Amino acid sequence: MTIASAAPPRLRRMTQSRWAPWLYLSPALITLVVWIYWPLVDAVRLSFYQWNMLPNSPQLFVGWDNYQRIFALPKFWQALRNTGVYIAGLLPLAVLIPLAIAIYTHDLPARSRNVYRAIIFVPMIIAPVVAAAVWRWLLDPGYGLANQAIKGVGLEPVKFLSDPKVAIWTVILITGWKLMGFSTLILAAANANINPSLIEAARMDGASKWEVIRDVRLPLLSSTVLFLVVMTILLGAQWSFTYINVLTGGGPLGSTTNIYYLLWDFGFSTMSVGWGSAAAVILFLGFGALAFVLFRLIDRYSFHDN
Amino acid sequence: MTTDALAQPALVRPITLRRISDRSGLNTAAGHLLMVLLSIFCLFPVYWMVASSFRPANAMFETSLWPMTGSLDNYTQAIDAIPIGRMLINTLVFSAVSTVLQLLTGILAAFAFARWKFPFDKLVYTGVALTWLVPFQVVMIPNYLLVAQMGLLDNVLALILPNLASALAILLLAQAMRGFPKEVVEAARMDGARNWRILWEVLVPNLRGTIASLAILIFISTWNEYFWPLLLSRTAENSVVQIGIQMFMTTEGNQWGPLMAASTLASLPVLIIYIVLQRQVVQSFMKSGIR
Repeated sequence: MTIASAAPPRLRRMTQSRWAPWLYLSPALITLVVWIYWPLVDAVRLSFYQWNMLPNSPQLFVGWDNYQRIFALPKFWQALRNTGVYIAGLLPLAVLIPLAIAIYTHDLPARSRNVYRAIIFVPMIIAPVVAAAVWRWLLDPGYGLANQAIKGVGLEPVKFLSDPKVAIWTVILITGWKLMGFSTLILAAANANINPSLIEAARMDGASKWEVIRDVRLPLLSSTVLFLVVMTILLGAQWSFTYINVLTGGGPLGSTTNIYYLLWDFGFSTMSVGWGSAAAVILFLGFGALAFVLFRLIDRYSFHDN
Repeated sequence: MTTDALAQPALVRPITLRRISDRSGLNTAAGHLLMVLLSIFCLFPVYWMVASSFRPANAMFETSLWPMTGSLDNYTQAIDAIPIGRMLINTLVFSAVSTVLQLLTGILAAFAFARWKFPFDKLVYTGVALTWLVPFQVVMIPNYLLVAQMGLLDNVLALILPNLASALAILLLAQAMRGFPKEVVEAARMDGARNWRILWEVLVPNLRGTIASLAILIFISTWNEYFWPLLLSRTAENSVVQIGIQMFMTTEGNQWGPLMAASTLASLPVLIIYIVLQRQVVQSFMKSGIR
């Protein structure tokens, strides 16, 4: 098929096809507008009202009150701090350790690597609620396997989920468990895609094993690493939502509440639509700004193989 | 992208790499050790769930790796406590219908993006992509209110509504369709095929690899969905199995056995899919990034 014969029919169809794309797009666009864009606008509107979600109770316009009250709440700042802790705690589990493992195991034989790959992916497909249930059982203060082992060596049992100092790290660990194998696979795939002649060339020049990693592999992996870092920062706290909801309910003493859980708490536990919406708007704007900056950074600082 | 692209193993080791140092044997052993430890960490909780589910009540707190006396008591107890069969069917309906409809709206929308240039096409495309950045917690209150207004609370079908379309399906399919050879589409058009026929008789059959991997991904993530059903469910009969598991945990007792049995049942369909289609499942998750 030559280009000359392909061009005319396209022109002929131009007039006829003015509505066609919109027709094809409409089911998807209507869904996205109804369930995402319109709710976003509605959340902004509701954030200026006071309302308890009951259909026949009045919606009272309160201006910026909801925002002012939220910023004055110690709970909000605690949740924001915790969100930071979640992200900081997840970065080693979802990026750093997988990166080390991916680099360290790149020369394992393909056959055994396929077996490992099949196994370490399993947590990713397990439902978060199921994961929460299993970990709750493993970490039970009285009869859980973890504490039986701890008691076995003569130490005091750890209250993994009810000690305010420990609980957040437990939730982080469980979230990390879900992601670690998957990140390892993503990084291993990127690592295997590195052109072997680059490594060979560096070795010919007398580079040591560590120098090869530092000067060749890491720069070439940087875009994948950055991608995972961005995902962890943007979604990390969100991934832990189910675990918080099922395992700790945000407690003890709010110690595991992050910003996403706070939204849920405002909206559906305290039935305060205004607060919930205002917090959602704050979160969305913060989230959007962060995403914008991070994606700019990716564009700027990632190296490419080609 | 065709089935070949799917089947292509991403981790093939470059054969040209020569072993240089004598220590590489030791390094390989250490590498194996590392991977075995990671594998145990990843798999053990799942194993422990299944093992615990077969322990009889009097052996629940034993720490032997293998249940010495197997029993199905936990399963019968779980079935007595919650309508788990009904919940599994609900979850299946929810996941299957969501998958089919999401693929359908995705295919149609992707075709529009791949086939035509139209006013604001870039803007609309960006608008679709940006929905990915809106956390569900931000829109949950208006979504909940909308379902409540429609009188569809506690209805399995209402669960499907926000899942009718997803940015993921649209973007992945648009990408695949743009990569499809133009010549083939032109040839079909020369034969007098209209757009509708080109889409369903040329593009879709040829992209079945991409579509299948997307279907796996959507099915598994919908099956595992928890938050949205949690908002809408009122009764166990109209709820999904993830909520059933949660019910065991809120009743603060030590029903570990039935809880593990319910968890095992809830994971079974996904685990079976995984065991049968392991390579495709891993590929489809990796292609779409995390979510």
